Amino acid sequence: MKKRSFVLGAAIAALGALALSATAGAATTRKADDSLLGGGSSFVSPLVSQWINDYGTKAGVNITYGPIGSGAGIAAVTARTVDFGASDAPLTADQATACNGCVQIPWALSATSIAYNIPGVKNNLKITGDLVAKIYLGTITKWNDAAITALNPGVTLPDLDITPVYRSDGSGTSYNFTDYLSKVSTDFASAIGKTTQPPFKVGVGARGSAGVSGIVAKTSGSLTYVDVAFALKNKLFFFAVKNQAGKYTLPGIKQIVAAASTVTSVPADNALSIVDPPKTNVDAYPIGTFTWIITPKSSKKAVTLKKFILYAISPFGQKLGLPLVFAPLPKVVAVAASKTVAQITQG
Amino acid sequence: MAADSTLIVLDSSQRKRSDRLGERGFLYVTLAATLVAVGVLVAIAVKVFDLAAPAISKFGVGFLWSQDWNAVTNRFGALDFIYGTAVSSLVALAIAAPISIAIALFLTELAPKWLRTPVGALVEVLSGIPSVVIGLWGILVLGPIVESQVEPFLNSFLGWIPLFSGRYSPVGLLPAILVLTIMITPIVSSISRELLSRVPKEQIEGALAIGATRWEMIRGVMLPYVGPGIIAALILGVGRAVGEAIAVTQVIGTTAGIRSSLFGPADTLASRIASQYQGAVSNLQVSSLAYLAAILLVLSLLFNLGAQLIVRRVERSRG
Repeated sequence: MKKRSFVLGAAIAALGALALSATAGAATTRKADDSLLGGGSSFVSPLVSQWINDYGTKAGVNITYGPIGSGAGIAAVTARTVDFGASDAPLTADQATACNGCVQIPWALSATSIAYNIPGVKNNLKITGDLVAKIYLGTITKWNDAAITALNPGVTLPDLDITPVYRSDGSGTSYNFTDYLSKVSTDFASAIGKTTQPPFKVGVGARGSAGVSGIVAKTSGSLTYVDVAFALKNKLFFFAVKNQAGKYTLPGIKQIVAAASTVTSVPADNALSIVDPPKTNVDAYPIGTFTWIITPKSSKKAVTLKKFILYAISPFGQKLGLPLVFAPLPKVVAVAASKTVAQITQG
Repeated sequence: MAADSTLIVLDSSQRKRSDRLGERGFLYVTLAATLVAVGVLVAIAVKVFDLAAPAISKFGVGFLWSQDWNAVTNRFGALDFIYGTAVSSLVALAIAAPISIAIALFLTELAPKWLRTPVGALVEVLSGIPSVVIGLWGILVLGPIVESQVEPFLNSFLGWIPLFSGRYSPVGLLPAILVLTIMITPIVSSISRELLSRVPKEQIEGALAIGATRWEMIRGVMLPYVGPGIIAALILGVGRAVGEAIAVTQVIGTTAGIRSSLFGPADTLASRIASQYQGAVSNLQVSSLAYLAAILLVLSLLFNLGAQLIVRRVERSRG
């Protein structure tokens, strides 16, 4: 089984290379078909920009991507106003039905960071999922709460109110975050649950990663959740989060790879979750997520689209993610992704 | 040559035919334009209510006073947003009304003549700033000022009222109210100014001639004359505030719930629709958002009809 997936993995790499070379030759004879329009997840947008620069130029395909948010991306592909959507949350049952024959393909892997603005404290304070859940449920309201100070000996936390900040628009990052908190806290699971639009009773909401981090930057005592690349780019402080093995880990490539390595099989709809992974991998960061490209099964641009996705999930595409804290897809996932790509047909 | 063509045009039979054609064409063109406007309104209303139908049949009128808004349990209600809409627009109106009328009085009666036109134009430019820009300014400039200056100030004087207590924050009801105030003021003040400038000169001069001071003249002659018109202008202003989505979404903190303090976050009908429609996770949520839109549509129709009724009644009473 393992050997077979290795062979298939190599085959994907070869296909990706083939897609590159084949389309590179066609670049001079550009057809009207050689353009793709996509939109959705802002989380994956820096990586998609890299792909557009690299693949788009080499293959002569004009790809446009709008980071309009996962929810909006799903809405756009459902309305067929784009050739593909991108989301960090798998489609809900209603969304899948509405999308009318869409496939979701995992094409990138990263993590959500929990960023904070507490005046006078260092970066990478320690926190547990359970405490984050309590903060977002409103049961922990002060930064110098005994439970938080106990995790951070030697750090003087101020007597400051906590302002939880969350995404008010449909967000895959919200999904990843609430998926994690629902796993580690039964109180959170029953009060809020996992969703792209969490009905929080405390804190303030804002649109988009830029919106929430804007509020965090201006509000002392606030915390929020954003994709790790965004937190790094905007120099936000974020927590080291305790995993099942009891280790406090930061969202880096190694820790994300460790979390994803716990995936052994992929469901038919590719809806994978790697939050709070088992303790077999001591380095795993507990709030990792796959992110998906969503396309109609029958597409007018099937050929161009398939080549682009195969490129993205190939080692050529995946390696561009490393500087942006996107970890390469595990082989078993890349194999499942390429099988799903094969289902897309010319429409 | 020119004389010839004039003669031709004036030829009675030809003139009648061309007039008849022109008249009829003109009628059709204007009728079509009107029908398009009415048609668009009807089409929007039909679509909104059609989209809202599943939520209307599921939640009924109880939707209006339910505080649930939960995409996980799939239960939705409008009360939090009706509250947020009402408080944000009414308080904004309460602040904007005296300011707008003061601006209008200053510019029609009190300001030196050379100042009136340029300042009036500047005030009107304010109403042309796109709301998304005002919202952005709200986040970057107004919010931090509200948190560090306005809220502590209000709290130190009026902190014993729950409205002005609680945690200071750069986003929340108060910044939203101030943003709306900024948006309403130029509308109300420019209409009021227009109304004030139409008060008959004889009445003003008459009042001054019998020894009234300027303030007595304004109170006794001008304000009663334009009062109903200003009320109509205020209603139009509220209509604008109620429907404003983008600027409000940016500063209100978009959190459901009814809080006693103006410092806390809230959400309005329009803001909720703007922030959640595209990311709706279930058909019922889409439908519930359309239900919110239907409430908004009915509200703004009522506001506009109200304003028109007042204006009409005033015009009739004046003959």
